[in-house]
Order: sequence, then structure tokens, then C-alpha cells
Amino acid sequence: MTNRDMAKVIAKGWPDAESIPRYQNQIEIVCGNPDSIAGLLHYLQSVGFDHMSNLTCVDWLEENRFDVTYNLWSYKYDLQATVKAGIDRDEPEIPTAMDVWPQAQAYEQEIHEMFGVEFIGNPDLSPLFLHNWKDIPPLRKDFDTEAYSVKAFGAVRNKE
Amino acid sequence: MLKITREEIIDGKFERVLNFFRSRSMWMLYYCTGCGAVELPPTMTSRYDMERFGIGPMATPRQADILLVTGYVSVKTLKRIVYSYEQMPEPKWVVGFGSCPVNGGIYWNSYATINHLDKYIPVDISIPGCMPRPQAVIDGLIGLMDMIGRGEAVGYKKYQLNNEWYKKNQREILERAKPVLGGTK
Repeated sequence: MTNRDMAKVIAKGWPDAESIPRYQNQIEIVCGNPDSIAGLLHYLQSVGFDHMSNLTCVDWLEENRFDVTYNLWSYKYDLQATVKAGIDRDEPEIPTAMDVWPQAQAYEQEIHEMFGVEFIGNPDLSPLFLHNWKDIPPLRKDFDTEAYSVKAFGAVRNKE
Repeated sequence: MLKITREEIIDGKFERVLNFFRSRSMWMLYYCTGCGAVELPPTMTSRYDMERFGIGPMATPRQADILLVTGYVSVKTLKRIVYSYEQMPEPKWVVGFGSCPVNGGIYWNSYATINHLDKYIPVDISIPGCMPRPQAVIDGLIGLMDMIGRGEAVGYKKYQLNNEWYKKNQREILERAKPVLGGTK
């Protein structure tokens, strides 16, 4: 099954999401309604995407949107799917994917720490990597990492 | 027969003799925080063989003389480095290895790594480079041996004398109560 065939299957089976075939074996799936992301992931698992290889987040500052991005892989068809769920940047909330893939827990914990996204249903969103962090989450695009380093650690920029 | 009492040693009369022996038998605790760890195996093993200068690796801080901080130091790592440093018995020395402990190196504007290691623990000698080659590492360690022999490597005494200043700097990083730039989660 090629990525075009799979995109047609998904468009028929889950019309809420927009599926676009990309290069070679890749499919991009844009989730229409982020509240139903767990259902979409469960559906994708049922059509052959049995492995979640990564879960990450993209900050679109100008569009005031976070894209929570799930990278899925199908061992059966050798297809790679990128599922994007756009959520409001001011109130970032999305249901957890732990019911579909339990290993999503640690990824969600990290994204909560680095972007401040709330994953509803995830039991443990405690700090994972940062020590005693009090500022806004550091991987947000409006966080000025150089200003932080200058103020917190006394960093000095080299003179050109 | 020459008898040396404990008071004379503490008074520093035999400090020169002791320093001679200290500088020729050093056990090194290498805290491999960053990429610098990759330069240590060739330095230790037969190609460059730092043991011919009397420097050997040691597994625990309680028996070590040198603390080698190899590479960038993140905030979480800093806490562990301070623990390890304070566990080491005196006399003890710290070697900053690579550019990152000196001024942050290529991670100078990162939110997670500290920039100047000598604000938090006293660094006796720094080996610049990104990464320093094994020759540079051995050169730096021989420089440290010379400094110990001349009695100039006194970082651990500075740590005692200026303990409040070092502790204040450590607390600023590790026990921060307010956001640095303002604004909360």
C-alpha cells in the first residue's frame, strides 16, 4: 500500500482529519478537532500505524498556535504518518494519548515542561529535566534564552 | 632521626615537602558532564599514558585529589558537582576542561548551562579548547603539578575563606525563588 492509497483510506474512515500524501512513504494528517485526537490516534492504530516513534510540539508564534505532532510508523506497510493537532497558544490543552500508547506519558511530561501544554488525563506532569524552573517554559518562541543566560549566569557576548 | 609533629605539618613548615609528594601522586575524579569525556580514554591508555606522570583515575570522590569537569555544566549537573567537590578530602584541586567551564563555550546563551564554573567552585587551572587534545590535557595537568609543587594551587583554601560568596552564587542558581525574566507558567 502506498501513501496515496493510505491517505484515501484515512479520508474515508476519518473525514474530520485532512490527510495529505507527502514524499515517498510519508503522510501528513492534520487533525481537525484536537479534542478528538485520542480517537483519531486509535483509528490510525487500527488501520496499521502500530508504533508511535515520537511526540513533539511546534510553536507557531505569529499564528498563536501550538502544533502537537505525533510521528507514527506502520511496520506493516512501511509508512510514516505525521499527525498534527493545532491548539490555542493561550490555553494549550489537549487530551492525552496514553490510552492508545502508554509510552506517550514521558513525552507528554517533557512537552508540558518545555512548552507548557496541558495533557488532560496524564497523571504525572511533574518537572522532568529542568531544575527549579520558575520562568515561562523555555522552548516557547517568546522565551529569550540569551537574555535569560545574561541575567541568570552572567553570560557575556563576544565583541565582533 | 627527624621527628615531624602534627603541629609542624599544620603550621606549614613541611608544606614544601608535602607538596612535592602530593604533586607526584594524584588521583583524578573525572566528572564527565559533556563531550570532553571522549578525550580521556586516549589520555589514560597506552597512547598518551598519563599514569607515567603519576596521575590515575579514581572511582569515588572520597579518595580523589583532582576533580576534572569535562565539558558544559548544566544546572542539574552543577548541584552534583558541588556535592562531589565537597565530599573530596583536602587538599583537592579542580581542573576546568574545555571552553565550556571557562565562559560557556558554544552553549553560552543556553538557558540550561551555567557560564562560569569558577563562580561556584574554585577552579585551579583551565584547559582551553573545544575539545583539548590529549597533549593539551597532559600539558594542563603538568601545569597543575607545577603549581602544586610551588604551592600556588590553593583553590580549596579559597573555598574555605570565601565560602559564603561561593555558597551565595550556588544558591542564586539552585534555589531560585523568583523568575529571572518575569512572567510565570
